[in-house]
Amino acid sequence: MGYLPRKSLQVLGSIFAVTTFNFFLFHIIPGDPLRLIARTQKLDAEQVAALRIEYGLDGSLFSQYLTYIGNLLHGDLGYSFALHEQVSTALMRALGHTALLLATSTVIVVLFGIFLGVFAGSRQGSKADSRTIIGALVFWSMPTFWVGMLLVFTFGVWWGVLPISGITTPNAVYETYFSYLMDIARHLVLPTLTLALVDIAFFVLITRTSLVEVMSEDFMLTARGKGLPRRTLVWRHGVRNALLPVMTASALYISGLVGGAIQVEVVYSWPGMGLLMYNSVLARDYAVLEAAFLVSSVVVILANFATDVLYRRLDPRVVVAQ
Amino acid sequence: MTTNSNDFELREAPETQLSILGKIWQDRMGRIGLLMTVSVFTISIIGPMIWPFDPAAVGADASSILQPPNSQNWLGTDELGRDVFSQFLQGSRVSLLVGVTATIIATVIGAGIGISSGYFMGRLDTVLMAITDFFLVVPSLPLMIAMGSIFGQNLTVIILIIGVLSWPRNARIIRSQTLSLRERKFVPRAKSLGATDLRIIRKHMIPHVLPLVVANTILVVAGAILAEATLAFIGLGDPDRISWGSMLHFAFASGAIGRGAWWYFMPPGLGILAIVLAFTLLGHSFDRINNPRLRDAA
Amino acid sequence: MNLLEVKNLSVQYGSGQGGVLAVDGVDLSVGVGEFVGLAGESGCGKTTLAMAIPNLLPKYASITTGTIEFEGQDLSNKSESELNEVRWRDISVIFQGALNALNPVATIGNQIAEPILIHEPGTSHDAAITRAKELLEAVGISASRSSSYSHEFSGGMRQRVMIAMALACRPKLVIADEPITALDVMTQAQILELLRSLSETFNLSMLLISHDLSVLAETCDRVQIMYAGKVAEVGTADDVFGEQNSAHPYTQRLLKSYPNIHQERKFIDGIPGYPPDLSKSHAGCRFAERCTVSVEKCFTDEPELAVISELHRSACHLVGGSK
Ligand SMILES: Nc1ncnc2c1ncn2[C@@H]1O[C@H](COP(=O)(O)OP(=O)(O)OP(=O)(O)O)[C@@H](O)[C@H]1O
Ligand SMILES: [Mg+2]
Repeated sequence: MGYLPRKSLQVLGSIFAVTTFNFFLFHIIPGDPLRLIARTQKLDAEQVAALRIEYGLDGSLFSQYLTYIGNLLHGDLGYSFALHEQVSTALMRALGHTALLLATSTVIVVLFGIFLGVFAGSRQGSKADSRTIIGALVFWSMPTFWVGMLLVFTFGVWWGVLPISGITTPNAVYETYFSYLMDIARHLVLPTLTLALVDIAFFVLITRTSLVEVMSEDFMLTARGKGLPRRTLVWRHGVRNALLPVMTASALYISGLVGGAIQVEVVYSWPGMGLLMYNSVLARDYAVLEAAFLVSSVVVILANFATDVLYRRLDPRVVVAQ
Repeated sequence: MTTNSNDFELREAPETQLSILGKIWQDRMGRIGLLMTVSVFTISIIGPMIWPFDPAAVGADASSILQPPNSQNWLGTDELGRDVFSQFLQGSRVSLLVGVTATIIATVIGAGIGISSGYFMGRLDTVLMAITDFFLVVPSLPLMIAMGSIFGQNLTVIILIIGVLSWPRNARIIRSQTLSLRERKFVPRAKSLGATDLRIIRKHMIPHVLPLVVANTILVVAGAILAEATLAFIGLGDPDRISWGSMLHFAFASGAIGRGAWWYFMPPGLGILAIVLAFTLLGHSFDRINNPRLRDAA
Repeated sequence: MNLLEVKNLSVQYGSGQGGVLAVDGVDLSVGVGEFVGLAGESGCGKTTLAMAIPNLLPKYASITTGTIEFEGQDLSNKSESELNEVRWRDISVIFQGALNALNPVATIGNQIAEPILIHEPGTSHDAAITRAKELLEAVGISASRSSSYSHEFSGGMRQRVMIAMALACRPKLVIADEPITALDVMTQAQILELLRSLSETFNLSMLLISHDLSVLAETCDRVQIMYAGKVAEVGTADDVFGEQNSAHPYTQRLLKSYPNIHQERKFIDGIPGYPPDLSKSHAGCRFAERCTVSVEKCFTDEPELAVISELHRSACHLVGGSK
């Protein structure tokens, strides 16, 4: 079997596993899930009975599972009594906001992380190198939400130069579409910066280690012997080789992304998946929590798949079976 | 040159704790990490014993609320007029307790899975590694949040959740070490001498494999402390225990940031930073000194 | 004037106590169009000496004494960017262990074209690739393979690619550090033949390092034998390798320890013992301990390179000038 079909099957397998795991995780809570819902929401007996049938709760755990899978395949993630809407509607709205946040910060993290990693790695053993490492380790050791609190305090409260809450200014009237975008951009600055400050360390450290290793390879001596200027040497020969291991390692970054988003969205009331999960925790809204966990796992699995495919396109040593 | 390296490997005793500490002490990063770790542990053990205020005692009236540092309350008071410094001292204990115990759980599970996977290989290996990879990919904070809100909020549950979700990397590393140990001659030799699998694992695998994962284990402590703080910040901490994370939760929820109460949200954050950085530095230094083979293992 | 004139060169790895003086006061000259061979046991400093010429030594190595005159200019104290002008355009290198000397993620066509584009700024990318293809053809690799990657080639082919690359800028001097060691005998012969014919076409000089004395005897005009960081003997191939001519006991032992290609393969008669530790200082001749004919003087006085005939020099108290 070729690479792509095999890998796609694997991805499907992972998604299936995560779905099953998710279902059983949320259904081993002792007692009737509906009672949990009924505890916080006022439902009359008729509503409870209707829901019981809709979610197959009258049957065995296994038949509930089948109903669950069936509903999923129809895009039905359940109904949230806390939000009074379909879970999928709430998720779709939040997903876009989180995607904007994570995409912006990932671009920054990858670009600056690699740049700093190359800066340090190409000066291995120098003062600049060890300072970069220490700096990266320090930021890496900070809780993301605390960095967010510090930035809120510094830029929002103390200097008052940047918005610290939400995605747009409440009740703002926009003259042009551009001014609307600018408002979003201003709200995006601090959340992005928070994520970037903490996550950048990952790319700095990995790129540095990888480059240091590549710099001692035989072909780097060849490149030096050719009389290449230092910058060409480092970037064209060193970095291009050093980035492949960085790509493999970025799976770790990807699986940490959602966690970072949750913390940042809580601190900045950014209306994305993270804030949704946070509010669901407070409201004990299991329907949303269950779906949010499922969706974030699937996104992570797909993102890893995409990196893997990209990796194979970039490394000529991997023979792509077509 | 002709001595059999396998025999050598067999006799080679795992490094004693003392010589490892000595080597770390010689490494600048390691020394800083060690000093920081020792200081935080000392503060957390002795601190609450000698600091006179009860961290839970609320202020007498409105004038004692969110007071900046003064001669009485060195780090001021919180939104209920409680002494921040005594909360800070008390809170360090939960961070360290969770960090250490969750790591022990993670290491036991990781070693169990890693060693059985690498030693028995075959189908068991395939299944165990599929499970490991599954937990490596699944985003851990959402999972912890989901589990935290399902299983309730007390310290034991939190420790179990963090411990149970932190083992996959350990398992991967231990498995590959076990595999390479297995390749060496002494396993078949011990087998031919009639040793049982259990005995080989106990006598040869565990003592040789465990020192190699120390660096990663130390990093697990750092991750576990961060995880506890984050869960507590999200509001899933143990409501009966003060931790640095829960302090930050209440500081945030009570609007201490907006009111500029830096004495409330700075100390616990710095505390977390210090202890996590300490373990991170130790882990990196371990990696470099003790274990060059694993230096870049993912 | 010689193309390359190295005088009294010393190279040290590291510094202070643990420092290794890998090359110690060595002279070396290569004339225009001349092939010079460099031989000696493993670890005697051949690679170090060769790499010192375009200064491709690692950071922690330093040239402590001596000059490296190339076309009358001293390279030993040039800056990295000044050296970059000379590297590959005038002096190219076929590295020892060339199997990993090619970048795994760049096509070999681009890698061969790269120095052309750097050193001949007016050249278009297409023109450089065309030349790369010609060079590939010249070393017996089809031009169509220029867009392949190094992992798609066999060891011998990579060696050829390396040779093509070394010739890309028509350098004056090629330093070939054991270009054939890792290859089988047939491929070795092919590559040597290739080097020989290409050198005529391109009119280049070569510093050829090899353990195989018969290769040096056949290929080189002059041969220099090194021992423990010093020159033991230097002369024409005939001076050094001729039956009765070798003027240094080390060369004689070395010759005995290699099978003669004209004779039946006989039992290889190695030299007992190991070369001395280069991180320590020495009194007397460094070979004295392993030498079968050494006398008391050998352990106390260091022998000078003494003139034996016009081009022949030997550093031995017993043979040659100071007999
Ligand atoms: N990168 C290095 N760092 C430290 N010492 C080195 C280094 N390279 C070589 N040396 C030391 O310098 C001495 C000469 O080494 P060199 O590589 O020049 O020998 P060589 O004659 O080329 O040997 P071979 O025939 O094995 O290639 C040796 O003692 C070696 O240990
Ligand atoms: Mg060499």
